[in-house]
Amino acid sequence: MTIIACQDVSLQFKGDQTPVLDHIDLQVQKGEFVSIIGKSGSGKTTLLQMIGGLLNPTKGDITVLGNVITEPLTEITYVFQRPVLLEWRTVLENVLMPIELKKRPNQEDRNKAKEVLALVGLADHTNKYPHELSGGMMSRVTLARAFMTEPEILLMDEPFSSLDAMTKEQLQLELMKLTDQFSSTTIFITHDITEAAYLSDRVVLLGEQPARVVKEFQMPFSRLRPKKLKYDPSFIKVVKELYDSIDGLGGSSS
Amino acid sequence: MKKTRIFSFLLFIIMLITWEFVVQVKGISKIILPAPTTIAANLFQHFQSGYFYPHIIATAFEVFGGFFIGAILGIGLGFLVAQSKTTQEILQPYIIASQAMPKLALAPLLVLWFGFGYTPKIIIVALVCFFPLFESTVTGLSHVSREKLALFQSLKATRFQTLRKLRLPTAMPFIFSGLRVAVVLSVVGAVISEFIGANKGLGALIIASQGMLDTTLMFSVFILLTVIGILLYQLINWVEALFFKKYSYSREK
Repeated sequence: MTIIACQDVSLQFKGDQTPVLDHIDLQVQKGEFVSIIGKSGSGKTTLLQMIGGLLNPTKGDITVLGNVITEPLTEITYVFQRPVLLEWRTVLENVLMPIELKKRPNQEDRNKAKEVLALVGLADHTNKYPHELSGGMMSRVTLARAFMTEPEILLMDEPFSSLDAMTKEQLQLELMKLTDQFSSTTIFITHDITEAAYLSDRVVLLGEQPARVVKEFQMPFSRLRPKKLKYDPSFIKVVKELYDSIDGLGGSSS
Repeated sequence: MKKTRIFSFLLFIIMLITWEFVVQVKGISKIILPAPTTIAANLFQHFQSGYFYPHIIATAFEVFGGFFIGAILGIGLGFLVAQSKTTQEILQPYIIASQAMPKLALAPLLVLWFGFGYTPKIIIVALVCFFPLFESTVTGLSHVSREKLALFQSLKATRFQTLRKLRLPTAMPFIFSGLRVAVVLSVVGAVISEFIGANKGLGALIIASQGMLDTTLMFSVFILLTVIGILLYQLINWVEALFFKKYSYSREK
C-alpha cells in the first residue's frame, strides 16, 4: 500500500531562476525503508522537508496517508541532521517533549520514555543534561525522542553524518531494530552509499539540475541484516553499482 | 580559585595601607582626602547613632520600587514586541532613540511634574532599569536557533507552546544579565535623582555632606552605595543560581 506519494512535484524558491526540484515522482509503500542519495546541494533535504510539511511545493502534490500535505502531520516524525536537543532539559525530559506538547506526561509516559531510552542504550543516562553527552549519545536521544511517539512515518535527514564510523555502525543497527519493532515507514537521507545500501529496501538516486529521481535500486536483502553483510560480495557488488551510477552523473561526488 | 581570592584580598589590604600611609605622612586635610581609619570610624559612629538608617531605607525604597516597575514593564513589553517582526521593525527607531536619550537628564523635569517626593525618583529608576531589560528580553526571545524552531514546527507546537517551552528558556540567561545591569544602574538612578532635590536618601546625604565640607561622610556614603550595589548584584546571581541554573548551561562551560 502506497502511503507517501509525490506526483510531479516541483519547488522553486522566490527569486531563483531555476527550480531546485523538478518533476519528482516518488512512491513509498507502507513499512518500506527508502534511502535518498545524491550529491550535496541536490535537493535531498528540500524534498524531505516538503514530505514533512515543513515546506510546500510550488507545483504538484505530495500525498501522505491520503492527505495532501500542507503542514506537518502528527503521524510524521522528523529527525534533523544535527541532534537538536533542548539544553535545559534532561535526556528524559527531552524524550518526553513530543508528548508534552499534546498533554501532561503521566507515569506511563515516563516509563515508556525510559524503555525507549533503554532500547538505544541510554538507560543509565536519563537524568543527564545534553552538554554532558557525547555526539553519539545525543543522536541516540533524538532517536529515542523520534520513536517515543511510535511514528507511522519517519523522515531522517542525514542523522548520522557527523558521527565517527564505529558509533555510526552501532546506531545503524539500532535504527534497523527500531524501525522493525515499531514498523515505521522510513525515508532516510544520506550521502553515505554503504549506509544507504545497508539500511534500505530501496535506494533512490536524486541528481541533475534541477534535481529529479534519476534511478531507483531495489536492495536484494531481507530486513534485520547482520553487520557482516557489509563484507559480503553480493553487498559490495550492489554498493559498487550505486557508486558507479552516482559517479556517472558527473562532477565531484560528495 | 581559592588562591586568586587570597591575592584579591591582599591587594585590597595593600591599597588601604598605602592610602592610610600617604594621608598620614603627607598630612593631607580630611576635607580633601580622609584616611581609611577616619572613614571607618565615621561609618561606625553613624551606624551606632542610627543616622544612616532612614537614608538607606529611603534609597532602598526608591531602588526596589523603581527596579520592580522597570523590570515588569521592560520584560513585559519585551515579550510583546518580540511576538512579531513587524512591531519590532516599527518600534526599532524609538527603541534606539530611547536608549540613546540620557534618562537621568529627565530628573529635573520629573521633579517639576511630580514634586520632591518619592514619585520622580521611582520613575527615574524605573526608566533606567526598563531599557536594559527590554532589550535583553527581545534579544533573548529572538535568539532561538532555526533548527529548534524547525523541531517545534515539525512537532506541531502552538505559538504559545513555542514561546513557553522554547523561547522563554532560551531567553532566561539574557533576561538575567539584563537584570544584573539594571539593578546596578538602579542605584545610580536613585542617587542622581536625589541630587536634584531630596531631604532623605544616600544621594541627599552626599549633597548635604558637600555643603558641610564633611568629606569623610561623603566617603562613608560612597562605601555604603558600593556595598548596596554589590549586594543587589549578588542577589540576582543567587536567584539565578538557585532557581534558573539549568537555563544558563552555556555560561558554565
